[in-house]
Formats: sequence, C-alpha cells, structure tokens
Amino acid sequence: MNPAFMSELAVYMMEESSIICLTYNNDGIIIESNKFADALFGQTLKGLPLHEFFIDFGKSATVLLTGNISPEKRLININTHSGLPETYYFRFFNHDNVIMAVGELNNKEVEVLRKSLLDVNRELNNLTRELHKKNAELVKLNDLKNEFLGIAAHDLRNPIGIIMGYSSFLMEELETDLSSEQVEMLKTIQGTSEFMLHLLNQLLDISAIESGKLNLDLQFTDLVELVHRNANLNAVIAARKQIQICVECYEYIPEIKMDVIKIEQVLNNLISNAIKFSLPGTTIKVSTFLGGDYVTVAVIDQGQGIPSVETDKLFKPFQRTSVKSTSGEKSTGLGLSIVRNIILGHQGRIWVESSVGVGTTFYFSLPIKGPVKP
Amino acid sequence: MKTDEIYNAYLASLLAGNRSGCAKMINDLIREKTSIKELYVNLFQSSLYEVGRLWEQNKISVATEHLCTSITESMISLCYPMIFAAEHTGKKAVITCTPGEYHQIGARMVADYFELYGWDGYFLGADTPADELMQYIREKKPDIVALSISVSFNLAKIRGLALKIREEFPDLTIITGGQGFRWGGEKAFENIGNVTVIQSLDELVEKFLVTSNKAL
Repeated sequence: MNPAFMSELAVYMMEESSIICLTYNNDGIIIESNKFADALFGQTLKGLPLHEFFIDFGKSATVLLTGNISPEKRLININTHSGLPETYYFRFFNHDNVIMAVGELNNKEVEVLRKSLLDVNRELNNLTRELHKKNAELVKLNDLKNEFLGIAAHDLRNPIGIIMGYSSFLMEELETDLSSEQVEMLKTIQGTSEFMLHLLNQLLDISAIESGKLNLDLQFTDLVELVHRNANLNAVIAARKQIQICVECYEYIPEIKMDVIKIEQVLNNLISNAIKFSLPGTTIKVSTFLGGDYVTVAVIDQGQGIPSVETDKLFKPFQRTSVKSTSGEKSTGLGLSIVRNIILGHQGRIWVESSVGVGTTFYFSLPIKGPVKP
Repeated sequence: MKTDEIYNAYLASLLAGNRSGCAKMINDLIREKTSIKELYVNLFQSSLYEVGRLWEQNKISVATEHLCTSITESMISLCYPMIFAAEHTGKKAVITCTPGEYHQIGARMVADYFELYGWDGYFLGADTPADELMQYIREKKPDIVALSISVSFNLAKIRGLALKIREEFPDLTIITGGQGFRWGGEKAFENIGNVTVIQSLDELVEKFLVTSNKAL
C-alpha cells in the first residue's frame, strides 16, 4: 500500500476517527492511545495499565498471555468514565511485541437497544392513551351514577314524608287507644323514616356536589353569631346525654363572605358528631380564632378519639371508623364528605387531630374575604 | 393559533429533543383553547413531516427522527382530556398499523379523531399481527376498520390484510391511509370493495365522521 496513504491513515486513526485505538505492551501498559479513546475515558491513557479500564478481557486474556494475536473480533467490556459499562469489539495486531488494539462501538447492539427503548416508549404511550380513555369512561359513569342517585333520592323523599306524616298523625290521635307495644312500633316507624329522610337528603347533597352543582349563595355573615346559634340548638340534644357545649369566641372576628346555610350545615354536622361520639359528663368546646386571612373554627370533644390509621378515611363517602356512637345513634357515612366539599367550595381547609382516649378536634378555616373566583 | 413563530419555536424544540420545552408550548396552547385540529394537523403533523424531510435529506439522524416521534407521542397525550370528553355516538372503529409497520403516530391520530367525534376508537398500535387484528374485530364488531402504513414498502401487506378482512367480513367498511400512499397505491384495493384510501384527517372527518350515519 502507498506509504503516504498509510501515514495519512495513521494520522486519521489517531487524531480524528471515532474508533478506539490503543497500543500496549505485554505487561498491559498502554503505550499510545488516540484522541477518541482519551476523550471516551476522560483522561490521557498513555502509561496507564489496561486493567484500570477494561474490566473483562474475555478471550482476549488468553491472547495477551500467549501472544497469539489474530485480527478476529473480540468482545471487551469496559468501564467508561461515565460509570456505565459498555461493550466494545476489538481486533488485536501484534507488532514487535507491541499489541495494537482497534475497536469500535458495536452499532448493532446500540440499534437493538434503541429499538427496545422505542418499543417501550410506544407501549407506554399506548397505555397512557388507554388510561385516559378509561378515565373518561369512568367520569361519564360517575356522572350517570350521580344523576341516578339524585333522581332516586328525590323521588323517594315524598313517600318517606307521607310515612312520617301518617305515623306522626297516628301517634297524636290514637296514643290513648294504642297499647304500649303499638306506640313503640309507631316510634320505630317514625325514627326509621326520619333517618331515611336524612340519608336521602345527604345522598342528594352528595350527588349535587359530585356533579359540580355546589352553588354557593355568598353573603357577609357574622360567623360567631352563627356558632352560638348552632351550639344552642345542639345543646338541647347534648343535654339529654349530660354533655355540655361551651362556646369560646374571644377574638373580634370580622364578617365573613360565606354561604350561611351551608356553613350552618357544617357546624351542625361537626357538633352533632361530637355529641354522638362523646360520653356523658364530658364537655364539647367550640372556639373561633383568626390567623392571617383566615378564620378557623375548632370543635373539640373529650370523646373516645379516632385511631390515627383511620383518620384518612374520615372525609370519604360511606367510610366508617371503628369508633361507635355512645347511645346507638345512627350515621349515614356521608356527613363529613359533604362537609369537606362545602369547605373546599369556600376555598377553605378542613382537618382533624385526634388522640385515642383523649378526644378529637375538627378544624375548618375559611378565607375572610370569601372564595376568589378561579 | 398557529403562527410561523409558534411553529418554528416548536420545531426547534422538537429537533433539539427539548421535551419539556415542547410540553410547555402545548400546554399553553391548550390553555388558550387551541383546537385539536390545529394542534394535530398544523403542529404535530406539519412538524413531523418536516422531520421526515430532514431525515430524507440526511440532515438529521434516525436517532433524532425517533426522538422527535417519541416527543410528539407524549405531546399528543397532553391533548387527551380534550379528546376523550366527547359524547359517545355508539359507533366503533378499530385502528391499527399493518404487520411490519412501526410508525404508529399517524394511526394514533386517526384513532384520536374517531374519539373526538364520539366514536370508540380502539387503537392497536404498531406492527399488529394479522391474527390478533382479526380476533379483535370479531370481539369488538366495529363499524369501521382503519389500516395505516407509513412506508410504501408495506403496500403489499396492507392489501393482503384488507383481503383477509374482506374474506371474513364482507360488509365491513375498511379505510386505509398514511404516508405510505404518498406516491400512490390506491389501485391496490381494486376488486376488494368498500375500501377507501383517505388522504388526510380532513377527508376522514368529511367522509366518515361528520356524516357518519349517511356514510355507513
């Protein structure tokens, strides 16, 4: 071959090519390395032992020992300066006891790897599409469920009202003519009907909220006055269980923009829950305090407390904790979920702190200026 | 929406492999209520055609082309809340690439268009084996089967697949399309019957989606 061309080729191999080109002696010390190899390892390789870079010589170890060099391609795994192991294929040439190694990236392997990555990416995208499709279907099903729930609950309210009305009429008109057993039966009919009506009202609330129909009628309101009123109303029920309700509102609280009926529903739910799960002789405290742009209401009981593992499910619909009411009061499992949605609708926050055997405190905070339109 | 400025900025981000930059632009456009048609046709399709052109001219590597495709697939996913919100018409379509066809993005866009117009667009993806497709058609009983090829070498395969479908489902509407038909190939389906080659997403809408009841 033309010596000038060979010399040009050698310069190209050492200076510009994108293949690894090394020469080393039988002791494994690198005598020369080209620019590409130096760049790949991030340092000049000249004078360094090969084993610092090549972690597995494979068949090439035998080649080195016996000096039986052939231009057959041999696999070598190396550690690059990036820390990732890579596999290269080398051809070895022996020249005056100096071994020359010429290697290149195994494009076939890189191609296979790239194809696999593309397959994985494609699969991931297709699964993402499926997930979105399924989610959209679930949203539609949920809307349908809410619509059904709303219609069913609404249509059931009238018959329940009639049952309640007639049982109440019988109690009033015929009480003296009925045996005590029959009076008990009528009381059971009335009590059960009341609970059913309460459940239906809550189901209507849930279906309206979940359908995005939480329409708030916002007005500036005296929250402290609302707290007092609600505490007084519940004090009658609490007294039956020898439970006392006290209100502690010492700070000046400005009027807050809120939906009065809905916040009253929240207060009523939290206070009546506290009565439901408290033992006779205890006190329920309702307090208000200011903090920044928010006012916070706390309903504190000295009840049984809720195990910490169960507090997460408190605000989810139809979820119940292991804590039982103290006088056999019934619960729909929907109240706190509705309460949470009302507070979130006001762009407020609701949370709970509880300790078993000590009591539970429910907090909710509302922005003083009312919810800001998104 | 589409101005040259937005398009050029998006294309530059795409070619640079800047996934987050592309995502930001697409999310901004979605927030501005840009239509799916504008995003799909004027941005995703146009930019990928340009990527293909650059690849053909040896100006970008196959790796860059793959990266651009991969990013575009992710960008399409950002549009899904808009796509899957449509009221369903009860009609169904099965959309797939032929065996050996690995470019699936065009077919995926077609599947999404079906969804956008209230159809159930079942997308089987790239390189779908013929037997798998036949089984899927038996199960889903679609109103339309859409077959896609992006490289013209797969013309014979798409014809073979159409014949196989026609053999078992004589009345099923088959539509075909994709970049594989760029240089022609419509005649491949002569004598099969009820096979339409669709040249664009607009044609799909016009012929099958807007007037679907009439067309079927």
